[in-house]
Amino acid sequence: MSRIVDEWVSRLKGKLPPIGEMTHWERMAAAMRLERTDFVPVAPELDYWQITYAGYSHQEIYHDVDKTTDACIRTWADLRTDAIWMYVDISHQIENFIPAERRPHHFIHRGEKDYLMFRPLAATLDEAIAMYERRDYEKYLADSRAVTHYTPHMLQLLEFQEKMDRQVPVIIGLATPTNYAETIVEVQNFQKWMVTEPKEKVRRYLDLCLQERLAALEFYREHAVGNGAVFCCLFGGARTWGPRHLEAFADVDRIFGEAAGKIFEHVFWHHCGRNLPGALQMISEIPGVRGVQYDMPYYGQQVTWPEWFEQAAKIFKGRQCAMNAPTTQLACHGSADEVRGMVREFIDATLPHTTACVMPGCEIDSFSPTENVRAMIETARSRRID
Amino acid sequence: MDRAEILGLLADAVEKLDVKGVEPLVDQALAAGLKPSELLTEGLSRGMQRVGQAFNCGDMFMPEVLVACDVYFAGLAKVRPLLAADGDRHVLATMIMGNIYGDVHTVGKQVAMPVFEASGIRVIDLGEDLNDEAFVEGIRAHRPQLVGFGTYMTSTFMHTKETVEAIRKAGLRDGVKIICGGPAVDAEAARRMGADDASDDAWQGVVKMKQLLGLPA
Repeated sequence: MSRIVDEWVSRLKGKLPPIGEMTHWERMAAAMRLERTDFVPVAPELDYWQITYAGYSHQEIYHDVDKTTDACIRTWADLRTDAIWMYVDISHQIENFIPAERRPHHFIHRGEKDYLMFRPLAATLDEAIAMYERRDYEKYLADSRAVTHYTPHMLQLLEFQEKMDRQVPVIIGLATPTNYAETIVEVQNFQKWMVTEPKEKVRRYLDLCLQERLAALEFYREHAVGNGAVFCCLFGGARTWGPRHLEAFADVDRIFGEAAGKIFEHVFWHHCGRNLPGALQMISEIPGVRGVQYDMPYYGQQVTWPEWFEQAAKIFKGRQCAMNAPTTQLACHGSADEVRGMVREFIDATLPHTTACVMPGCEIDSFSPTENVRAMIETARSRRID
Repeated sequence: MDRAEILGLLADAVEKLDVKGVEPLVDQALAAGLKPSELLTEGLSRGMQRVGQAFNCGDMFMPEVLVACDVYFAGLAKVRPLLAADGDRHVLATMIMGNIYGDVHTVGKQVAMPVFEASGIRVIDLGEDLNDEAFVEGIRAHRPQLVGFGTYMTSTFMHTKETVEAIRKAGLRDGVKIICGGPAVDAEAARRMGADDASDDAWQGVVKMKQLLGLPA
């Protein structure tokens, strides 16, 4: 039982005007099942943005679960997006690998709206492997933000979801093995080691990452799914890997994605940064992954936005919901009209092939103007599907 | 081995990601009487150009490119002390480069620096997670024609505006061209934040910088 949740439920339950013929939940679920929706669902990843939108600084919510949850619900109540994204930052993900005294060096908050800065936890592949073999992530878990902030925040939002009779789903965010593999040692180091280190050693590291992630899924089965979670976003790594690296090492993500798909009903894959069609193809073939939150085309691809949206939609056809638009850059620095234009292009290019969800490829920047976030929501709401 | 053969082997070492082989090759080249500048421009840099071509047509990807950069740097480290005495090296422009505030990811910079150096742009690396004042001081100290902001994440790219503004307030904006680089940058957004251009591709970045400086492609 949470006071902040009960306050919001008493304020909102039965008092919100309906939007279209479907509830937010129904709209998101139908899109993920590749079924017809009344409107194209819209669920921008508001992680950091919703904190400042609600009037808090990032420092202020860092250790305060109630304020974090309050920010998420307050933002949803105002904007009525089709999902609530739980707040997730990098410290939730990897703080439990190191003891408390090292954390201030690795996780640094500065400006009120700034992203949490972090430094890698291991300098060599041997060090990273040793960290996993010692199971440091268990040793330092108890007082880490995974336990003190992420979990209680997730539980509060799920409590809200259930007490609101599942009008709106909460999206649970968890990272994949390759995301961990890259983050812990710094992405460029891991990428180089894929080429320079013995393949067996790289495999050993990735297998350790996979084992930890699969064990974490048991936690999610009990505490997330057990408390009503149905929608899950898997934050993938491997953003700039080529086909050879995907072929050699990306099986750990496939295994993890498939396992997550057996636990959560609606799993989608977050693949931000520059995307290759080959990587999207690989993700699209993971059983249980029902949607792909993809991003910009890879450097060398000379395509227009509508061409890129169409190319991705064709890859996902018959398998996944396509989730995109506008770019996070446009959301922050474009005009509301430009945001509307890109959202329309995305919808127009996608719907002939698969379902669409308006969801930029990465989290919305804290500095993004409110009118731009509203513009993407309004554009989706103006697009009734016949 | 003749001159052409040694230079070809140096280019091959970069392209074939031969981290261990490049240093002995540089020694061999110098012992054979090759000038440091030609060893750089016609050997190591040619290798980086081939890597760029392979990257642009999808035969090579970021993991290999990063290793190729290490090979180039290993060779450059041996040659660099000798370049000052070699009057033949032609420097097109000087650039200061660093990761803007909040960003410690060096992945883009590690690729960009050797590519730029290989193209005749002298790069001074200011480091990572730099506050605005570090760029202002860097311009004052090195008098560059170009300033490069490196950023890996969308969120840190958004700091471009503040850093450009600090450079403008210091009265230094008109004397430099500012270009952003990294996987999350967007040229239009960079211009809106006061920079001159942006590129997510180091080789394309060279083309853009030459355009900004009015140099032939």
